[in-house]
Amino acid sequence: MASPPNTSTETFDALYRDCARDMYAYVHTLLGDDASAEDVTALAFERAYRRRATFDDRRGSRRGWLFGIARNAALDELRRRKRSAPILGELPDETTRAPEEEADLAVRRTTVRVALAALAPRERELVALKFHGGLSNAEIAAVLGTSESNAGTRVHRAVSKLREACNAPS
Amino acid sequence: MRHRDPLTDVQRDELDALDRALAGEPVQLEMRELEELVRDVRAGAPEMSPAFAARLEHELQEGFPTSQERVPVSVRRPWADWSGRRWVLLPATGSLAAVVVALVVVFGGTNDTGTFADQASRDADTPSSALTEEASPAAGAADSAGGAGTGGSAGGAADRAAAAPAPSAKSGGATSIAPVPPDPSPGAIAPARTRKVERSAVLALSTPDDDFERTTDAVIATVGRFGGIVASSQIGASDAMGGEASFDLRIPTERLDRALAALSKLGHVTERNQSLQDITANFASAQERLSDARAERRGLLRALARATTQNQIASIKAQLRNVSSRIAGAKGELSSLRRRADLSRVDLTVRGNGEGESGTSGGGSWTPGDAAGDALRVLEVLAGIALVALAVLAPLGLVVAAVVLAVRSGRRRRRESALDPT
Repeated sequence: MASPPNTSTETFDALYRDCARDMYAYVHTLLGDDASAEDVTALAFERAYRRRATFDDRRGSRRGWLFGIARNAALDELRRRKRSAPILGELPDETTRAPEEEADLAVRRTTVRVALAALAPRERELVALKFHGGLSNAEIAAVLGTSESNAGTRVHRAVSKLREACNAPS
Repeated sequence: MRHRDPLTDVQRDELDALDRALAGEPVQLEMRELEELVRDVRAGAPEMSPAFAARLEHELQEGFPTSQERVPVSVRRPWADWSGRRWVLLPATGSLAAVVVALVVVFGGTNDTGTFADQASRDADTPSSALTEEASPAAGAADSAGGAGTGGSAGGAADRAAAAPAPSAKSGGATSIAPVPPDPSPGAIAPARTRKVERSAVLALSTPDDDFERTTDAVIATVGRFGGIVASSQIGASDAMGGEASFDLRIPTERLDRALAALSKLGHVTERNQSLQDITANFASAQERLSDARAERRGLLRALARATTQNQIASIKAQLRNVSSRIAGAKGELSSLRRRADLSRVDLTVRGNGEGESGTSGGGSWTPGDAAGDALRVLEVLAGIALVALAVLAPLGLVVAAVVLAVRSGRRRRRESALDPT
């Protein structure tokens, strides 16, 4: 028998502290700019707070539920703007900030960011859900509304493309 | 539709290694590349600015109050708070409409449906609609007989009472009847100045089977209470038909109206008729014949006193016997007419209506059995309402569900399209 939903403020506070930074990273990856990412992250938490009584743990984890709300808010924002996330537009210049002895590391990480930006939006979202959100395949499936097997296949495909892009000769 | 994408063993191993790397656990040597990838991707993860982190923390402490500052992002509308729950209103609205329709269907068709309220309404209406106060054709003839009375009247108060219902036959000239002065000598024959009216009534009652015997007993008790008599009665009880009883009643005319009202309360009135018959002419004629016979007898008695021969005496005695016989006949006729005027005839029929419960009985006290019957009727009506509501609600609910699913599916497709390359 499923336990009754825990709607206490303490529970939500713990969820917030566990997910806030990961969710911001995920939303930022989708939207591509700080201002929108901040607004959508705050909006997602606000919606989740208002709807916390409707959460049903039989339908998935709280983390997956929260990322689902954030995803809807981010997609609504993307649709409103009628454009995809220009992730390259705000890429920080890592090489200028990295020490000399970490030049190789900085170059590699820049390569990864460029490869990530080159992915299709759906694949980039999967990478963000997996790497930034830290969601399991089951949680990703719940967020995307698909099966766990399908979510695993899509995650594997996206990661493979990312690896290929990173290893491709420049 | 969700696709089944079975993972290969290699894919499964790589995903397991990825999950271990994400969890900070060691992975196989050949998968070390994944560890580096996880580190590099996470190292490039966008991070909150300290200012935004502080603002978000503050909003958390405030319980995330609705902020209009984010309007450009969320495309807020006045009903934004209901954005996730608007669809809930659709079935609710549909249900409300269905209930309203059901109520209209059930209570609107008052003539054809057997609802509790309708039954009560019919019960209330039936007595008045069935009550047909019939003015006898003889009442019309009362005009001609009204002032023709020349004989004596021994009716006294009974005569005045018999004249009382005459106003119902106003067109018959009843209002022209003068009040009758008290008769100082009841035995004397006075001129019949008032009309003699014979009243009769037919009354039919239906009653629940449970109340049949109680109703017939109540009929007898009511007749006795108004000084009437049961001339004859026939009571038959049948399980199949619910029983039927016929009563031939005689009710004092001056109490007839009140007695009929009391009898009508003993059951559901299915028929009620009243009629009037003017017998003033018959009464006056009998009085005249009696007066003439008595005058003739007085003359014969005087002649008998003057008779001198046996033949004369025998002849006068024979005439006296004849006159005495006519006097007796006239007296008997007057007595019969007086009874007809003083006592009204009521033909009363009581029938069981075949119902086991006495829920709709109009007579008697309200018993627990009546309450159970009422409760059953209410439940029947409610069940009818529920059935009609379901008949309306089911297709409506399907339509609403289809609309909700279509709306949600369309919204989901539109959202997903945001990730499509432009």
